[in-house]
Amino acid sequence: MATVEERVKEVTAQVLKLDSDQIKLDDSFTADLGAESVQSIELVAMFEEEFGIEMDEDAALSVETVGKAVDFITQVCAEQGVDVEE
Amino acid sequence: MKLILLDITNDTRCNFYPLALGRPIWELRCGFNSLGDKLIAKIGAKDVACFVPDYMADSYRTKTKYPVNDLTVLQVNDLLILNPCIKAESFDVAVSGPSEVGLDEQGNVMYARIAKDDTGKLSTDNIEAFIADVKAKLPNVKSALPRWQYIWDLILNNAEQISTDFSAAGQHGIEGTVEQPNAIRGSKKDIYIAPGVMVHPMVVIDAEHGPVYIDNDAEIHPFTRIEGPCYVGKQAIMLGAKCREGNSIGPLCRIGGEVEESIIHGHSNKYHDGFLGHAYVGEWVNLGAFTTNSDLKNDYSNVSVMMDGRHAIDTGSVKVGSLIGDHVKTSIGTLFNTGSYVGPMALIMGTGKPLPKYIPAFAWFIEGIVTKGFGKRKLYETAKMAMSRRKSQWTQTEQDMWDAVFEMTAPIRKQAVKKGRRAMLTR
Repeated sequence: MATVEERVKEVTAQVLKLDSDQIKLDDSFTADLGAESVQSIELVAMFEEEFGIEMDEDAALSVETVGKAVDFITQVCAEQGVDVEE
Repeated sequence: MKLILLDITNDTRCNFYPLALGRPIWELRCGFNSLGDKLIAKIGAKDVACFVPDYMADSYRTKTKYPVNDLTVLQVNDLLILNPCIKAESFDVAVSGPSEVGLDEQGNVMYARIAKDDTGKLSTDNIEAFIADVKAKLPNVKSALPRWQYIWDLILNNAEQISTDFSAAGQHGIEGTVEQPNAIRGSKKDIYIAPGVMVHPMVVIDAEHGPVYIDNDAEIHPFTRIEGPCYVGKQAIMLGAKCREGNSIGPLCRIGGEVEESIIHGHSNKYHDGFLGHAYVGEWVNLGAFTTNSDLKNDYSNVSVMMDGRHAIDTGSVKVGSLIGDHVKTSIGTLFNTGSYVGPMALIMGTGKPLPKYIPAFAWFIEGIVTKGFGKRKLYETAKMAMSRRKSQWTQTEQDMWDAVFEMTAPIRKQAVKKGRRAMLTR
């Protein structure tokens, strides 16, 4: 199974139309990867679908970087009993 | 005699959604004022109390002078309990006399006249138990009183109701300021321009086919045309509007573009061009420029509306526009399909295409699908901001009520979000 980091990068690449190899953990979704507000909503939706979790919108949308998204999703998966590869 | 307005949770409340999600049914407007105003005036009641669904009781207390959900009011008087869906002008039951309960064909209480001596027989543990006892222990009669069945009945009867209310108000003439040049068509007996109203030059007021009542301190900007029957509420501003027949514009609204046979509650904005027809619009709504609704299908067949997001209800009318809940915000270029339902607090980004006919409460409709968007808290922040711009306050009790509505409407919203996700995944 792919790791959380790999899956987060893959979803991010798909939504923002980027190459996943070019996405770094300290990339900001908005400043570095060019996510607009509508795409932020789409990212949250796609992360929920990818991991089968439900995230609080305010908390999810306050996550700024890819690395922090990995941490946040890992934490939510643990809270909601979803097994993931860290 | 104490008049009790009764709107408790039952199977038919949802016929008056999305507006009734945030207020009791008698607060719905038709003609000059609310259904409750008409019932109270018809009965001539001085002493009024009311019962509403628990989740809105605290909020409603802040908006009414009458006692809300106070069971003690049931114990000490002759009572007249009224279903708020009764058409006031048709109510012909004696308000005093021996106890009598009028039930419709489904067994719903349309009215209950309760003599003081009988109140002791009735449970006052809660309003539901009280009503159950009223039906079980007091003489029942069949009641065929005409009633409002659905929210669109109010739209479809609005023009007639305005004419009725104009006659009842008994006022005509010009007490406000009318700057020249202006054109007033029809009889001046069919026009009332209240004190404080400012009608700018180049306005047409056409009362040839029905009365026009412009309430206190409204402002009518140049190039507005107002056709009767029409009611323009207090402090409303008409901004070059093509205001066709049958409109009730609520207090403090700002209205431009073309509006026809629509009811708009207070504090709502339709500042710019765009057509709104046969629509019912809640409070604190903002319709962006070129927001337009269809109110007539291309094949002239009856319009259907989905009140629950699943089942289409035939309105029996070829003309029904949109039902737009409180605090809805639409972007520029939003296109509503014929008979659309837009739940309160929904935020709409138009796509250039007609939108789905059912948009749930608190939905963020973005890029053609229902999403969770930035969530409920962001919608509250927007509502708070919109209200503060008009010197009104968003309160915790208001928020608590909307929190309850958010929970009530969660299942259908989740389904719509899921559907949106599927669409998103296939793009």
